[in-house]
Amino acid sequence: MSTTSDASPIQAGAADGRPRPGRGTPTKGDAAGPRPRGRDLLHALPWIGPALILIFGVVLFPAVVMFYNSTRDISQSGVDKGSVGLDNYIEVFNFPYFWPIFGRTIVWVVVVVAATVIISLGLAQILNKAFPGRRIVRLAVIIPWAASVVMTTMVVYYGLEPYFGIINKFLVDIGLVDTPEGYGWTRNPATAFAWSIVVAIFVSLPFTTYTILAGLQTVPGEVLEAAKMDGAGPIRTYWGVVLPQLRSALAVAVLINIINVFNSLPILKVMTGSIPGYDADTIMTMIFKYIQNQHKVDVASALSVVAFVIVIVIVAVYVRVVKPMKEV
Amino acid sequence: MAVTAPAFETIAPPAASARKRRYTEDQVPLGKVLVRMLAGFIVLAIFVLPYVIMFFGSVKTKAQIRSVDPTYLPTEWHWENYINMWSTPETPLPQNLISTIVISVFATLIVLLVAMPAAYYTARFKFPFRMVFLFLVIVTQMLQPAVLTSGLFRQFLAFDMIDTWAAMIFINAAFNLSFAVWIMHSFFAGIPKEVDEAAQIDGAGRLRVLFTISLPLVWPGIVTAIVFTFVACWNEFAASLVILSTAGNQPLSVALTKFVGQYETSWQYVFGVSIVAIVPVVILFMIIEKRLVGGLTAGSVK
Amino acid sequence: MKKSLRLGTAVALAATASLTLASCGFGGGSGEEAGGKTTLDLLVPSYSDNTQGLWEDVIEGFEAENTDIDVKLEVQSWDNLETVIATKIQGGEAPDIYNGGPFAGFAADELLYPAEDVVSPETFSDFQESFIANAEVDGTAYALPLIASARALFVNNALLEQAGVAAPPTNWDELLDAATKVSGLGGGIAGYGMPLGSEEAQAEAAVWLWGGGGTFGDATEITVDDPANLPGADQIKKMIDAGATQADPGSTDRSPLMDIFIQGKIGMQVGLPPTVGQIEENNPELDYSIVPIPTKDGSPMTVGVMDQLMAFQNDGDKQEAITKFLDYYYTADVYVPWVQTEGFLPVTKSGAEELSSEEALAPFLEVLPDAQFYPSTNPKWSATDAAFKALFGQLQTKPAQDVLTEIQAQADAG
Repeated sequence: MSTTSDASPIQAGAADGRPRPGRGTPTKGDAAGPRPRGRDLLHALPWIGPALILIFGVVLFPAVVMFYNSTRDISQSGVDKGSVGLDNYIEVFNFPYFWPIFGRTIVWVVVVVAATVIISLGLAQILNKAFPGRRIVRLAVIIPWAASVVMTTMVVYYGLEPYFGIINKFLVDIGLVDTPEGYGWTRNPATAFAWSIVVAIFVSLPFTTYTILAGLQTVPGEVLEAAKMDGAGPIRTYWGVVLPQLRSALAVAVLINIINVFNSLPILKVMTGSIPGYDADTIMTMIFKYIQNQHKVDVASALSVVAFVIVIVIVAVYVRVVKPMKEV
Repeated sequence: MAVTAPAFETIAPPAASARKRRYTEDQVPLGKVLVRMLAGFIVLAIFVLPYVIMFFGSVKTKAQIRSVDPTYLPTEWHWENYINMWSTPETPLPQNLISTIVISVFATLIVLLVAMPAAYYTARFKFPFRMVFLFLVIVTQMLQPAVLTSGLFRQFLAFDMIDTWAAMIFINAAFNLSFAVWIMHSFFAGIPKEVDEAAQIDGAGRLRVLFTISLPLVWPGIVTAIVFTFVACWNEFAASLVILSTAGNQPLSVALTKFVGQYETSWQYVFGVSIVAIVPVVILFMIIEKRLVGGLTAGSVK
Repeated sequence: MKKSLRLGTAVALAATASLTLASCGFGGGSGEEAGGKTTLDLLVPSYSDNTQGLWEDVIEGFEAENTDIDVKLEVQSWDNLETVIATKIQGGEAPDIYNGGPFAGFAADELLYPAEDVVSPETFSDFQESFIANAEVDGTAYALPLIASARALFVNNALLEQAGVAAPPTNWDELLDAATKVSGLGGGIAGYGMPLGSEEAQAEAAVWLWGGGGTFGDATEITVDDPANLPGADQIKKMIDAGATQADPGSTDRSPLMDIFIQGKIGMQVGLPPTVGQIEENNPELDYSIVPIPTKDGSPMTVGVMDQLMAFQNDGDKQEAITKFLDYYYTADVYVPWVQTEGFLPVTKSGAEELSSEEALAPFLEVLPDAQFYPSTNPKWSATDAAFKALFGQLQTKPAQDVLTEIQAQADAG
């Protein structure tokens, strides 16, 4: 069967797969036993070591620099002028627009992630059904993922521009907008933010949909048939059988979406970039504005640390409540 | 445990045959199929629309793109844009494409090689600091790239690796490790443990179990992780911008910005390059899509 | 047990080996330079699609004459330029020569060579004095003028005629009147194109605030929140309230708006020398004229902008090579075609002489003597500039005084 034959070339190339006769049961059962913890850790190291090396080798230093910079006074040209303690943090929190920006960030994450998950669940159902042309539709769904987020946003942005934009032209042509040059969707904070949410959902759909779709493949056919034989309707089957089975994949997809959406900069940067003031900003665009416009790397670092703490709290709460990591 | 442990050879076939009768393949009446096709068509239309607009833009002239009386379809089709963009004065596009491919392919390979064992082990075995490890992995993803670039620049300066592909390969690999670990972890965790245990009792080593038993079962998850990582590397911008200074070393994401002048922008090339940049990812996806959802039964469906 | 450890190690080794391999196999283009060659790093922004090619020509010519010097060119878009330079400086790897706008911050951090140290006296004396004066901090020039531009009002003659406006406006009352009439034509036509969006809000701000007798300040003090700036800000609001501008001026960027002017949908808009080339390329049929910017009382005024080259000290061992390069660049044979192709005004006396007969530049050269410049020698100018970009567009909805106060506060904090 394809199962084993597909995998064997990989096995041959990757490492030696010599059988280990007489190997005891290495499962949870005895791992939880009286074996010393240090040994367990030592056993784990070869498996997780490379990951640790990569993370510590590449990510640690820049992260430390970020924390360090958040306590320094860095001139506009980038020269370190010494320590300022927590002054940068004070500046972050004293910024009059901080709390509205914070609130908008939460709205941004919640709305985008929730809508993405709900739409993806439906989308995955469609893509999971057999119909002629399904392969093409599946390929189409992958495109927003393959395309760079900046470019997708750019296209929508230009479509929405007055005078030039094809979306605006369409809205004028069907009579929804009555000024001949179109409406300035990206010129006003509220509409620009709303359109940003639409784009963010759009580009988050492929990954989420595919994770769910992959999860659907792990739903055993027997279970479904059993449900059918018990007389469960499609809706009850979905809620009672399919969704619980998707839990693991879905939980991780949501987690990844939360982090990605929270950290998303390009969409809002493009869609709200020309709007004056701070009425369409999230924490990420604010970090960007500190760096790019005001050249305050120090304050930007402080805000990044704050953002980091916020997202850790969100993720910790999420992990606590949802428990995406199945117990071993 | 011994009760639920059939011989090694008999394990894979039942698992596979369970998949054969998937949730998808029922016999359905024609009416239902038509409804599905309609739904599928609507989905298709929505998802390709922005890229159709992008494509139309890529065959217009600079002036037509910025025309105040836009037309839905291009009035003239300037296919030569797709030839000319490879030899513009702004950026050496063929080199940028190669650069993007090399960086993405190698970074994805490293991620696979490093993330798979970690995901497998954390999903299968308990060890001290397991949750700490998983959390540490995901923490790397919560940091803001825009703020990390200055630290990365200094670090790779110290390694004497500024302006090298290797630097970007490592950076991409390190920052995309986390999602790959978590995605694969969730799929490994989804396989009943008994499957592994049986194989191990049968005398297979841990690695062998990983490669012959677990891996085939989690292909969809691995493919998701591959696509996710590859796409993330493919479109990476913030670090490439500061690490790679020679035009020929830069990936497409940075090359695109070269068409943006102070007062005017060659949008036709920006759009054209974006279209070109999508193609390899879609091809990659076409190649492995069968693995992802058609799954192992694709052959039996036909 | 041991075995499982060994297997795991094998994976780890394989991973590490692949990492090492990757790093050996793929050292990107830039190698170590051989044989004691000096390498100069040159970081420049992209002005147009000519920029990369123009610099490559300069470098090629220079390297042919100076075989012991290698010049490494890096072109970035304006959007990314400052991110890249800031990162490089933080890493202690500033480029040797940099083309940018605000330089006072670099000078204040003592990163730059004084201009006179990196060009020969002949080259230095060829710069027009007024431009050099704009590059001076405490009497020492730290940057070399590269290009200059002045603004003027581009007028769509056909639209004005259609609206029954006899002559281009020269003061604010006439401008308001003419713009209102043109806007009245309807059909998506706007009388005056007013870009207060983030792209270049400080320029449009200068057009109006200075035109009303105001100023942004000088080398030592930023004075945005000043009664002298109120008339200009109020006049902007007047224009908006009268419907004399396009919709949403507060968040409209300059470049896309200019595209609309070029295609004949806007009556009047302030433009600069490269605009002439853009019209030539995109809509040569446009019937337009270039006139001085209308001011409150009609007295002549224009906003002058100057971009500079600056030389970073770094280890202080490349002064000689930098000097050679800059001297080469500013020779008329090299510099004039460069500045001409980019469509800006030259900053050298020899360049001005050669280009004096250039017709497209004439209207700008004419207003140049009345040019006022941004207080770019003030170390706080960069922050002020950012504050204008981020906040000035709020004029559309907020009281003028509040906006000026907010900009001043952000500039002072920066």
